Amino acid sequence: MKSLLIAALALTVTGGAAAKAEDVTLTVWSHEADETAKVALREQAARNLEASHPGLHVKITWYEKDGLNSALRTALPAGQGPDVFYVEPGQTEYITSGMIAPLDDLVDWSNIYDWARSVWTVDGKTWALPEEAYTDELYYNKDLLAKLGITLPANGQLSQGQFLDLVTKARAAGMTPVSAGVGDRPYPGAYILAEALLRKLGTDDYGKLLTGKLSFEDPRVVEVFTWVKSLVDAGAYPKNFMTLKLGESHQYFFQKPGSVVFPMGSFYTGRAFVPVDQGGQSPDFPLGIMQFPAMDGAACNSCKTVAVGASFAINAASKHKDLAAAYLNELAKPEVGKQWIETVYLQTAVKTGGIQFSGPYAAYFTELMDRQKGATYFTGMPVDVLSGQCKDSFVQVMNKAFPGGLLGVDEAVKMMNEGCYKG
Amino acid sequence: MPSETITSESRDSAPAGDASAIGARTASRGTIAAFLGPVLVIYAGFIFYPVIRTFYNSLHTVGPQNTSSFVGFQNFTQLLFHDATFWRAVGNTVTFTVVGTVADVLGGLLLALCLFSQAPFGRLLRVIWFTPVLMSYVVVGIIWVWLYDYDWGLINTILRWIGLGAFEQSWLGDPHTALWAVLVTHLWKWLGFNMIICLAALYALPGEVLGAAELDACGWFAKLVYIIIPMLRPTLVNLLVLSFVGKMMMFDLVWIMTDGGPLWATETVSTYVYKRAFNWNSFDLGYPSAIAVLWSVMIVAFVVLMTRLLRQRERLEF
Repeated sequence: MKSLLIAALALTVTGGAAAKAEDVTLTVWSHEADETAKVALREQAARNLEASHPGLHVKITWYEKDGLNSALRTALPAGQGPDVFYVEPGQTEYITSGMIAPLDDLVDWSNIYDWARSVWTVDGKTWALPEEAYTDELYYNKDLLAKLGITLPANGQLSQGQFLDLVTKARAAGMTPVSAGVGDRPYPGAYILAEALLRKLGTDDYGKLLTGKLSFEDPRVVEVFTWVKSLVDAGAYPKNFMTLKLGESHQYFFQKPGSVVFPMGSFYTGRAFVPVDQGGQSPDFPLGIMQFPAMDGAACNSCKTVAVGASFAINAASKHKDLAAAYLNELAKPEVGKQWIETVYLQTAVKTGGIQFSGPYAAYFTELMDRQKGATYFTGMPVDVLSGQCKDSFVQVMNKAFPGGLLGVDEAVKMMNEGCYKG
Repeated sequence: MPSETITSESRDSAPAGDASAIGARTASRGTIAAFLGPVLVIYAGFIFYPVIRTFYNSLHTVGPQNTSSFVGFQNFTQLLFHDATFWRAVGNTVTFTVVGTVADVLGGLLLALCLFSQAPFGRLLRVIWFTPVLMSYVVVGIIWVWLYDYDWGLINTILRWIGLGAFEQSWLGDPHTALWAVLVTHLWKWLGFNMIICLAALYALPGEVLGAAELDACGWFAKLVYIIIPMLRPTLVNLLVLSFVGKMMMFDLVWIMTDGGPLWATETVSTYVYKRAFNWNSFDLGYPSAIAVLWSVMIVAFVVLMTRLLRQRERLEF
């Protein structure tokens, strides 16, 4: 009887301990508290994980970026950080300080585009799961293009001469050819120039140009600057280019006064696909996407820039790395990627190829995906890749003064070379 | 309630242990420490340590994870002899400061004189001229960026409307006009402040002196130059010094309106320090600290020089 009691007690104790072991809370700290679609998606992934792991509770704490970074800077060194947290490319301090765990063997990478994974690959290891992605695109107003009598080729890419012709025709017709403004951002003025350089040079030499290993006085670079100068001289940009803000440049394109094309990251949708009374574009706005112009004698006219935004890392000190990885795998499921596109209206690093989109902007996303077919990607916008004097020169020269018509080709090339070239 | 005058005699004669007579000489060291301690801790933490740390950083190259290596005066050498952008920023800041300070104080004085001379609608004008002082730089900057806009800005619209369309400009987009455009905005914001200070000083002037001048048939210009301005001199000197120091550290308005552009035409030393510290995708806080140290020394030197030059050697009596 005594032994039975002991056995029953032991069973109770061990059984209880087993139940206790499953009772785990996985903590996640995320930025973008005010982005309801992203909040819903990440919370849904948490609930899905809880459903497949009885006893697991996923607790997401929502922050804005500054608050999150401050909290992480104090919590992580004290060993009190969350299991999973939001990061963005460029926050390499977490890697160098050993505060995040490599994810190569933890996460199922088959659902993530290779180019997106490569953004987080440092020293042969992958340090975060990219969720959000965007590409540089050239949006256009289909009606205005038709009024100019211009028809896009099947691949959606005009030649550099045809694009100059577009600009000239638009000005002659009293239209603003290109909407862009640099009043509050360090990059929108450089979209056309940077994409033209990428196509002309190809990914390798473009990378060398941005890292100071190729001179801006290279004849190919000078050719591109000369072409962009011809666009500027033809009146490509608005006269208030220097003070026009990013949000205003969107409205300039799709509302008033209207422009033929609008070079912008594919995060365009974040401003455009909101209700009209909140500044969004009209539902019947004839939006199209063309490729940036093909350059004569280019190394890679199928090249385009891609960049990664929101990503998630696992705390190196986490006691639940497997569960943390399971949460990242939930985020990386193709159906979550589809839901991301249909509700967040942004691109994603999660593979969604072959998926049929639904919803009010399905046609847009289908066209956007078509524009990615056959693309060779260069990862990172110049403003994120550059640093120091070179970045400052980029902002002042390539983003503002050169497209603003304040500099000639020789001056611009010289100033960029002084800021960037290390040869 | 009549105020009590405490003389050194009465303080010295206060009986020991009288609680009402606690003073610096009678309070125990513990009491003094209890009162001063918290303030000193806050001062040390938020003023003294950052200043010392900035001096320390200026002699180092600071890397990630707070690692730093001693480089002596290398940052200062680089700054003084090899940094064209720094000298561009110095030139802009000095231009902005000198022109802005003179215009600020003179403009404020003129507005105050206008109100002092009982101009019509004086109360209304006082409110209108002072209102911009109450606005934040962010609001002022945004308003004036709109006003300066090439296409739909009020300034170009008026120019076109009155037939002076040939003079329309991208006011903030042209390196030749951008600094002046920012300066006008700054004056618009601060003239009201200088006006109020000058006006208060004008009302404090002894009426009998001004009355005597009028009895002596002193004209308004002579009265202004020989009586009012000399008597306002201490106020004007204070305004000049305050205005000077404020403009030498100009950051927010430039940041909002032009971000230092176009082509560094509005770059000030403060915006350059910020960019070097936080916008260059670099961890190094040593070089920006060197700029901050050098500029602080220059500001102190200028203020001392200015105060000495403008100091009143003979005290006015009235």
